[in-house]
Amino acid sequence: MLIQTTQLEKEVTTQDGTLHILQPIDLAINAGETVAIVGASGSGKSTLLSLLAGLDIASSGDVLIDNVKLSDLDEEQRAKLRADKIGFIFQSFLLIPSLTALENVMLPAELAGHKNAEQQARELLTKVGLGERLTHYPNQLSGGEQQRVAIARAFIGTPKILFADEPTGNLDSTTGHKVEDLLFQMNQESGTTLVMVTHDAELAERCQRVLRMDSGQLTEVVRDVA
Amino acid sequence: MWHKISWRLLRHELKRGELTIMAAAIVLSVTAVLSLSLFTERLQSGLLERSAEFLAADRVLSSRRTINESWISEAQTRGIKTAERVVFNSMAFADGELALVDVKAVGDGYPLRGELRTAGEPFGTEEPAKGLPNAGEAWVASALFQELNLAVGDSLEIGNSQFTVSRVLTYEPDVGFSVFTDSPNVLIRYDELEQTGLIQPGSRVRYNVLFAGEPSELEAYEEWLTPQLNEDTHNWRSIEDGDSPLSRSLQRAERFMLLASLLGVVLAATAVAVAAQRYCQRNYDVVAIFKTLGAEKAQIQKIFILHLLLLTLISISVGLALGWFIQAQVIEVVADQLGASLPAAGWQPYVLASATGLVSAVMFTLYPLLRLIGIPPLRVLNRQLTGTDKLRWLHWVASAGTIYALLLIYSQQWLLSTALFVGGAMAAVLLLTIGRVFIRASRQAGMQAGSSWRLAMAGLQRRAQANSVQMLSFATAIMLLLLVLALRNELLADWERQLPDDAPNYFIINVAGNDVEALQKRFNERDIVSNDMYPVVPGRMTAVNGVPVRDEVTKEAGGDEADTATNNAEQREGFGRELSLTWRDELPPNNTLTAGQWWGDDPQPQVSIEQEVAERMNLSVGDELEFNIGGNTFTVPVTSIREVNWASLQPNFFMIFNTATLEDFPATFISSFNLPPERKSELYDLFKPFPQVSLIDLDAVMEQLREVIEQVSIAIAFVLVLVLVAGILVLLAQVQASMEERQKELVILRTLGAPAKLLSRSVTYEFVILGAISGLIATLAMELSLYILQTQVFEMAATIHWRFWLFGPVSGAVVVGVLGRLACARLVRRNTAQLIRKLA
Repeated sequence: MLIQTTQLEKEVTTQDGTLHILQPIDLAINAGETVAIVGASGSGKSTLLSLLAGLDIASSGDVLIDNVKLSDLDEEQRAKLRADKIGFIFQSFLLIPSLTALENVMLPAELAGHKNAEQQARELLTKVGLGERLTHYPNQLSGGEQQRVAIARAFIGTPKILFADEPTGNLDSTTGHKVEDLLFQMNQESGTTLVMVTHDAELAERCQRVLRMDSGQLTEVVRDVA
Repeated sequence: MWHKISWRLLRHELKRGELTIMAAAIVLSVTAVLSLSLFTERLQSGLLERSAEFLAADRVLSSRRTINESWISEAQTRGIKTAERVVFNSMAFADGELALVDVKAVGDGYPLRGELRTAGEPFGTEEPAKGLPNAGEAWVASALFQELNLAVGDSLEIGNSQFTVSRVLTYEPDVGFSVFTDSPNVLIRYDELEQTGLIQPGSRVRYNVLFAGEPSELEAYEEWLTPQLNEDTHNWRSIEDGDSPLSRSLQRAERFMLLASLLGVVLAATAVAVAAQRYCQRNYDVVAIFKTLGAEKAQIQKIFILHLLLLTLISISVGLALGWFIQAQVIEVVADQLGASLPAAGWQPYVLASATGLVSAVMFTLYPLLRLIGIPPLRVLNRQLTGTDKLRWLHWVASAGTIYALLLIYSQQWLLSTALFVGGAMAAVLLLTIGRVFIRASRQAGMQAGSSWRLAMAGLQRRAQANSVQMLSFATAIMLLLLVLALRNELLADWERQLPDDAPNYFIINVAGNDVEALQKRFNERDIVSNDMYPVVPGRMTAVNGVPVRDEVTKEAGGDEADTATNNAEQREGFGRELSLTWRDELPPNNTLTAGQWWGDDPQPQVSIEQEVAERMNLSVGDELEFNIGGNTFTVPVTSIREVNWASLQPNFFMIFNTATLEDFPATFISSFNLPPERKSELYDLFKPFPQVSLIDLDAVMEQLREVIEQVSIAIAFVLVLVLVAGILVLLAQVQASMEERQKELVILRTLGAPAKLLSRSVTYEFVILGAISGLIATLAMELSLYILQTQVFEMAATIHWRFWLFGPVSGAVVVGVLGRLACARLVRRNTAQLIRKLA
């Protein structure tokens, strides 16, 4: 079991009282699985993702990543865990505007202290079809190209888990499909566990499992096996 | 690895212009501090060098006894130039006539600063003298030619010696402004002094040794010498110690430069503060991404601290180069105008400037950086997260502390720094409060206006918190600019007033009572502007409230008189001598009463005394003073105390009596008048019928004064320009920062279909209103600060500057409005999709 949650809850206190964003969630994801979390806006998908990735802290319950309890870790240790095991892809790409495509991809490897960051980054960028655009800045790239840079960046540390938050949400459908293909292809090649939050039913269908989030409640969508 | 990332970020961001404002702010603060301090230091030593002419030396040691030879030789071994100067009164005889003269015996090298000038005949064309009179010769002031009916080549007897009068002495640098040196000067060689036989034990002689040399050597010598001096008999002074119009002008100019530079430094620091805040905000996302990608806090800290340090160091280097260059250019212009080169400055300005850049960059970034490093990684999913705001107080403490430290480092004056700082802090609170009130009020007014206005008002109101902070920096910048501008005008006007083109350039003394009318008539006939005639009665003050005053005069007073527009320190040593007393019905110009009442028609005997004398001798209104005039003793009460502007070129008096008290005593009269240099030849004719009248020529002295003021004016203009640049940079940084806040709103309005024109107009209006309000507040604050500065620091009369009440708001509205519009135009030009993507 690569990712496991037990009675994971998230509440926030507002002026109108306590808001239960996540009802107690028990979830288990095996290594190599691809999982989509679908649901309406505000249903708590992104919150779950942030808890799974250790970006946020749960109100109660636990997340275990590779048998490490996140609640036992402080912020620094969680960052270290992300550096070692987790990659990210975001809807808004979140590239660093003042770094080139190559430098953006190198960044996680450099932060983790890898020696051959540049070599790896070059290879990955070539693989995502941007071998000619290494020195371009994000604002010189199209949306699809930026997301491809982000994908390359996500894979550079050979992470065990890849979290993707609406990876095609900002792209038109043609570009979106290309990016999807790339994402799944690379995921398959590296055997990474993929946890993806999306609105897009079609995209969700490409995952092995689909979980539906509804007002903080998570349910497994059982599909007919074709 | 982290240093690579840091350097990479810096390189790219610099290239992409993202750090321009921050870098510019640091560069400016360094440039401003360096060029100002280099320039002031060089100009000051230049000015001092020139002003040293007034002493004919850099330092003068004077005493009533002969001066220890070993002190002189010590100075010489230290590489300091020295020259003797001995001054005493004596009778001089020529062709059966006799007159009291001031004999000045000077040694080789005199004058060490400045030059002597002589002419071939009285009132003839003067030329710089080469050296000193030859042995057996004397140079004689023109007044003595009148008094003794002399001609060049005649013989003059002083003591046991006979001298041939070889030249007319027209200018001595160290003659000062003394009006009552009623005995004309005779200049002879020091080595011929002894054989005159006039120097006997008990003679009234003043011995002086003049010193000139490198400032550092002089200071070292001063340290060595002063402990050995006897305060009662020795007097050690430099030009700065004086009380002359020149040293006052210099002190004022120095204070102004210091103050203006301080304000410039504060402005530049403000620009750094605004830019630093923005610098950190821009990096919120970057830090969140770093953290998401697994960067540890320590890594992020290192990356950004190095980033900032590198940026600061690069900016400091650019600032140093730029500051040096600007200063060199300005010096070249100044030197061109003055036809002289200015001495080089030391290394301190470079250290000072670098320290200013470093301190402001580090301290102002401290809190924004802490906040930046604390940005939670979750920001990648929730853009509203900006980290904790709990340490905000730290920001205020650090910023305030930094400004105070900068003031202190720069001025090295506790009092001035603290006063400025406390005043500034109070002004800031006031500005914030007034700003909010204004914004609220303008909202009401704006409701009725057209849609751009309404939008602008709504915007102002919504961002009231941010806007009042913004307004604070706008207002501060505008206020400091207005302040420097107004102060400069005041200072120049004050000098102009002090030295108008028709300022008296001659004093006349020894006018007999029955000549007064005739002389005045002659002045009128020839269209010569003169001051009132003041009667002078010599007398002594002998007792206060029945207690006799210790009168040293009988033993050792020099020939100097006490109470005129004077710059000679020895003349202010107290009343060990006869005073020049005068009577008058009205309070003289440039005198203000500080206590008691002017007598008007009151015939009761009474006296009005000068304030400094009152303080020194502990006299107050109601005290009874006893005077002795030619053996007649009488007692009068003090009925008023006056403040006297000693810088005014008119006869000034310590003691003024009402007419009834003095009018029966025999008196001579003095006055001053203006005669343009080109009419100098008329002098001989003018005074021919009044042979006993002595004439004192102040032209040369005033010429020097004018030159000095001119140099200082250039310096002030330069300071003004620098402060202006600093002010504009602050405005620019602030507009830029606020534009970023507005961006989102603009995008929404644009997406909703608001035409670009409406948007840019509403933003422009918003800035125009902000600018106008800031300008108005700035004018108010400027007026208050100026009042305090004028009365407390510059000792000038306070004035209200009506023009600025229009100029302040209008210039604020125009400058801030234009900057706002320019910044906004860039945003509006982009298409909406681009903007949305940028914000996403």
